[in-house]
Amino acid sequence: MDKMILSQVVFYLFAAMTIIGACVVVFARSLIYSAFGLLFAFFGMAALYVFLGADFLAAAQLVIYVGGILILLLFGVMLTHKLYDLNLRTETYQFFPSLLVALAVFLTLLGVMMKTTWHNPGPLPQDPTTAEIGVLFMKDYILPFEIASIFLLVALIGAAMIVRRRA
Amino acid sequence: MIGLDHYLVISAALFSLGILGVLTRKNAVNVLMGIELILNSANLNLVAFSRFSAGNLNGQIFAVFVIVIAAAEAAVALAIVLSMYRLLKSVNLDQADTLKG
Amino acid sequence: MNPQLLPDLHRFLPEMAITAALLLVVIVDISFERMRRSATFLVTVLGLVTAFALTLPLYWAPAGTLFYGMIAVDRVAVFFKGFLILSSFLVLLAAPGSRELAQRQLGEFYTLLLGATLGMMLLASSVDMLMVFLSLEMVSVSSYVMVGYLRNDRQSNEAALKYFLFGAVSTGAMLYGITLLFGLTGTTKMALIRDVLARGAGSGDNSLLLLVSTALILAGFGFKTAAVPFHFWCPDVYTGAPTPVTAFLSVAPKAAGFAALLRFFFTGMSETRGLFSQWSTFSSLNWTLLILILSIITMTLGNLAALRQDNMKRMLAYSSIAHAGYIFMGAVVLNSEGIQAVLIYLITYLFMNLGAFLVVIEVFNQTGSFDLKDYRGLWRRSPFLTISMTVFMLSLMGIPPCAGFFGKFFLFAAAVNHGLAWFAVVGALNSVVAVYYYARVIKTMIFEGGEDESRILVPIASQALIWIMILPTAGLAIFWEYIQRLTSESLRFFMGS
Repeated sequence: MDKMILSQVVFYLFAAMTIIGACVVVFARSLIYSAFGLLFAFFGMAALYVFLGADFLAAAQLVIYVGGILILLLFGVMLTHKLYDLNLRTETYQFFPSLLVALAVFLTLLGVMMKTTWHNPGPLPQDPTTAEIGVLFMKDYILPFEIASIFLLVALIGAAMIVRRRA
Repeated sequence: MIGLDHYLVISAALFSLGILGVLTRKNAVNVLMGIELILNSANLNLVAFSRFSAGNLNGQIFAVFVIVIAAAEAAVALAIVLSMYRLLKSVNLDQADTLKG
Repeated sequence: MNPQLLPDLHRFLPEMAITAALLLVVIVDISFERMRRSATFLVTVLGLVTAFALTLPLYWAPAGTLFYGMIAVDRVAVFFKGFLILSSFLVLLAAPGSRELAQRQLGEFYTLLLGATLGMMLLASSVDMLMVFLSLEMVSVSSYVMVGYLRNDRQSNEAALKYFLFGAVSTGAMLYGITLLFGLTGTTKMALIRDVLARGAGSGDNSLLLLVSTALILAGFGFKTAAVPFHFWCPDVYTGAPTPVTAFLSVAPKAAGFAALLRFFFTGMSETRGLFSQWSTFSSLNWTLLILILSIITMTLGNLAALRQDNMKRMLAYSSIAHAGYIFMGAVVLNSEGIQAVLIYLITYLFMNLGAFLVVIEVFNQTGSFDLKDYRGLWRRSPFLTISMTVFMLSLMGIPPCAGFFGKFFLFAAAVNHGLAWFAVVGALNSVVAVYYYARVIKTMIFEGGEDESRILVPIASQALIWIMILPTAGLAIFWEYIQRLTSESLRFFMGS
């Protein structure tokens, strides 16, 4: 009983971390604050994946998103800025309509999703997923797996081509 | 009990925040962060539905592919941003205005 | 080895050829020093030709799905594969000849082009939503880089940035829609989605969710096909990108997007009532009306905006938006006649649109301008370019006997036969409006005098390429029966019918 309450509290903590992190991304004055907000959002997501029993995915999220994409974004921030350059929220004109749009989207999604009866075949057992994901990559999902590798190659070549110095 | 609805609320919030970020931010890297939020919200949906609605791991596998795609997109996006910075010395979207009409 | 994979590979040969060519181009690009330009070009040409040759036998292969239901091999897929390889091939031939790309190393360009082609071929044959998303992103990411290929050009960079930002948000929204559909049906395979929806999962309270998720998914497709209101990137990106890339974007990814959209709606979302007759949608969701409104707004906005343009690329961008609106007519008319009309329209559109862009490339090569005012007196400077452009403009207008007329005719006829005669009238009115800006080009070339009177010499290779475009555009009338038979035969094994 206590364990259940504790797990619920921890869940809400991580959920709050995720959402507050996302808010910081969107509302913060400085770009560095946004990047760190994103960091907390990603961490929170990984924790939520653990709650959902997706252990492999949680690890992948940490390794790739936090360890890769976030670092890349930070590099992007550093390389395109003088460090003292602040991103002030001067666009108050644009801000309010966008806020309304975002609120409308949120409320619509919430309303629609709460009313829906989702597909329900029964709960998924909480087994470690890594082995089965590995098998599925080689069976049902072999085509996307291979195509994703070609995709990464093409993206890599493209990105490198745009950025390199000499013609 | 933590149910599907909790996760859906979180993902809807992340999606909306991502949209807000894309609409309001003027720095290209900031907009990219908004896009990452959108993709993450979809991922949360996928994993949550995988547990509650699908009864198999298909959603989680889909989420892995989304992470892969997001990484590739971020790399290409930052390359373009960097290239623009070299030309204009700024990545403020207000500067991207030569193509008008 | 899994026994199912080997026979699957036999029907996957075209894509494997493209992949092999892609890898080979990368290797050749870093191996050769002096012959790099020609070697990479040659490898790409061979790759595309081989892939096309391998696609042809698939036309008579039994229909089915490959790789555990990820992609389908039916005649529609084979048609699109051939179409997409052909468009990439023609763009490939045009690329080295353009002045914009002359200064640049083209090895990566060919890699990106092949990557985009592979993605498009998969997009046109995907029957699983994961595969749709993955291939859509593959096409998009390759396109972002191709648009920004001119690193030192400000417009190219800007176009790439805008394209990326808009595209990533649209596909992100599409992904969210896909996840909602996943939650509703418990699966990502289109055929299974349809089964679950047929059993009533999308009715009652859930119909709202179905609407929201379909609308979000439509955002991604709308972006790829540049339909209103997801078209905002189109004029800027088309103008800023190197013109061969613009030509490519205006035809190939659009067609692939349409293919995926057709597949999604027909395989995933509609119940079929009998072979070849009427395909209807789940009654709780009237998205046919949605697409109809989309189609009208798109063609109207495209045509009206094109009237005011003085930049050729921008004008052709809005023109292509309008044409996408026409093509949506085929998606509204939910039967085999409608899809056949779409296929015919795409064939005609390929040649006339690419042809127009080829002339734009040539004029830029000589004059360095894309402005309409620099086309004045082109008649005296190069009769060849003027006549070819006139042919393409007439075809885009839809004047018989040019190919464009047949495309429009089949589309309008499908609408009329479906009971939507007023829809066809709207389309026809739009075509009339469009006559103005196409005719303006012809008038400028022939009847206005320009300051510069020097002769324009068009290289033989470019002349040949333009001839390849003119012949089908002007002469389709001779072959229209064959085209009609080809497209109707293609529908015979459309998965889901």
